[in-house]
Amino acid sequence: MGDLVIKAEGISKKYCRTIKHTMLYGATDLSKSFLGINQNTNHLRNGEFWAVDNLSFELKRGECLGVIGPNGSGKSTLLKMINGIFMPDRGKIEINGRVGALIEIGAGFHPMLTGRENVYVNGSILGLSKKEIDRKFDDILDFAEIGEFIDAPVKHYSSGMHVRLGFAIAAQMEPDVMLIDEVLAVGDIGFRDKCFNAMARILKNAAVIFVSHAMPLVARISSRVCVMNHGNAVYQGRDVPKGIHNYYSNFEVATGIIAGNGRAVIHNIDFESKGEKGIEQLNYLDDLTVHLDLTVDPEVKYPSVAIGFISQELQTVALCYSLFDKIRIHNAGEHMNLALKLPEVCLSPGAYMLLVHITDERRVEVFAEHYAVKKLKIIGDFVTSAPVQLAGNWYINKTMLHKTGDL
Amino acid sequence: MNNRLNVTYTPRGPISAGIKGPFLVTKLMVLELLSAKELVWRLFVRDFKAKYRQSALGVTWAIVMPLVTVGMFIGMNRSGILNISDVDIPYPLYAIIGLTIWSVFTVGLSACASSLLIAGSMITKINFPKASLIFAASGQGIVEFIIRSALIMLAFLYFGVAPHLGGLFIGLICLIPLYLMMVGMGFILSLVAGVLRDIANFLNIALMGIMLLSPILYPITGDSLLARANIWNPFNYLVNLPRDFIVKGASDFLTGYIISAILSIIFFYVGWKLFYLAQTKIAERI
Repeated sequence: MGDLVIKAEGISKKYCRTIKHTMLYGATDLSKSFLGINQNTNHLRNGEFWAVDNLSFELKRGECLGVIGPNGSGKSTLLKMINGIFMPDRGKIEINGRVGALIEIGAGFHPMLTGRENVYVNGSILGLSKKEIDRKFDDILDFAEIGEFIDAPVKHYSSGMHVRLGFAIAAQMEPDVMLIDEVLAVGDIGFRDKCFNAMARILKNAAVIFVSHAMPLVARISSRVCVMNHGNAVYQGRDVPKGIHNYYSNFEVATGIIAGNGRAVIHNIDFESKGEKGIEQLNYLDDLTVHLDLTVDPEVKYPSVAIGFISQELQTVALCYSLFDKIRIHNAGEHMNLALKLPEVCLSPGAYMLLVHITDERRVEVFAEHYAVKKLKIIGDFVTSAPVQLAGNWYINKTMLHKTGDL
Repeated sequence: MNNRLNVTYTPRGPISAGIKGPFLVTKLMVLELLSAKELVWRLFVRDFKAKYRQSALGVTWAIVMPLVTVGMFIGMNRSGILNISDVDIPYPLYAIIGLTIWSVFTVGLSACASSLLIAGSMITKINFPKASLIFAASGQGIVEFIIRSALIMLAFLYFGVAPHLGGLFIGLICLIPLYLMMVGMGFILSLVAGVLRDIANFLNIALMGIMLLSPILYPITGDSLLARANIWNPFNYLVNLPRDFIVKGASDFLTGYIISAILSIIFFYVGWKLFYLAQTKIAERI
């Protein structure tokens, strides 16, 4: 336990931008390596770029490295190098033990064969012997929960069954290094839960490298995080929330979507805090007033207005609905200024976007919908993957504890 | 999952702890194949089942196809379009044996050439010995040969001719170089097919061309340009010597056969080694 299983030193991988170069360099590299000519892989040839550039890390048994970064930042390339699918162009990776991978599970399933036959084929591709598979077959069947479909050809499987069977086989491996690439996006909640338990079991005896875009997941499993961008590690360390924050900073908020049937028009939206208008950021637990200038069709007597915040994961994390607050807005069809005052904004530090809905009182007809139209940054001295940090008072034996300054 | 413990991946390829010395690559190739015996067998069974499962005629396809081909040649011979010189045994028997031996090469080579490409997604996602794909695919040539052998037996019975018993055994052993040649070429073609997708179309035409230009379905005699060219054609010997042994227990092709057999072994080794060295480079380009 706790022994070093992966050591990567300055690994880099280069890719070509065009097919023409891919074929040309592929052919020359192949002939050179066959003739035993030493190749200088250090420099970039015309049309090449570093997909992974000078990355180093070490991983012990029981540790989980979360690798995050925007699309095309080199995460999958990194995993493939560790998996030995292809070699780094610079640097080296030392691996002590068996490497298992949950990367697009079910690759190698033959549609014509039954699930049972595929279990044996896939198992042996993954390096399990027939004896091992025989022994684990019931577990695999149990895990996959596909029942008698095990004897049906895989082409008749639903995509969920396909993935379940694939994961069930892969989960039977007892690797020293486990590579996981965005596989939990599929499957229903029950199955996802099972996958987590399987991963937790594997994690006890293996070092895990986990690639995902789902930050709550990364925060939950990873003990360390590596944030990649354009092939470089822009952050590496044990402060997972900090890494996640760094990841988010890669993304500019997309321009909002404005929809609705046009019976309500929002002319202007403004944020106000501590008496100052036109702000774009505030401190955690500061007050916030959202000002809306709007006009609603005079025929609509009582419009309802919802104001909410969207996280960078594009999840609506908080909402204020006039309807739920039992507020009735009387509309005369004239220009009105609507303000929503929030005394303490308890969104966790990070970047959020505003959403505004104007509907009828039955919430059927949408008059105006402004989605992700305005950015609001919450500043604070802590980072968390939870979108809301509730504000409350703490007590010991009914004595309220008071806030100290910095800890 | 690979079973290699303590491996270091470097730009020059994987280095496994504890394996060194001369012929390092060859050692690694053989070790890899030995560790993948079971995988080769599984992949072979998979391909076999998948190939014959959803066809109404199943295995009989392997028998119908050569019958149709041989039938065409018999027809052409009888109508005088094609003038086939006399052979020692009834012509249909001669043609069926030739075609069956040749099928080891054609069926196996086509399967090998496309095996990497078919496994594309697996190759880029799972680390396993890729050579097992080729070895497994080459088995299809053997299966085809075994199924068609039933046809040969029927033909022997039908024409009331007996094969030379000792020669039959030697003839079968003498098919090994043809098999090795096929695997060696299969290794190389599968790599080429990974980069140039049109290899499959090209291969079918090339195999048909070789069959028609070599003395496989009919003897090529005399002093024609084709006959002289066939002195340098290894397939001439690799197909005809086993056939001669099966039919009459002796052959005049011995010298050519030995040279061709050596050539096959070289092809096999070079193809395998090239494939072994290239497998990590192909994975990033397939």
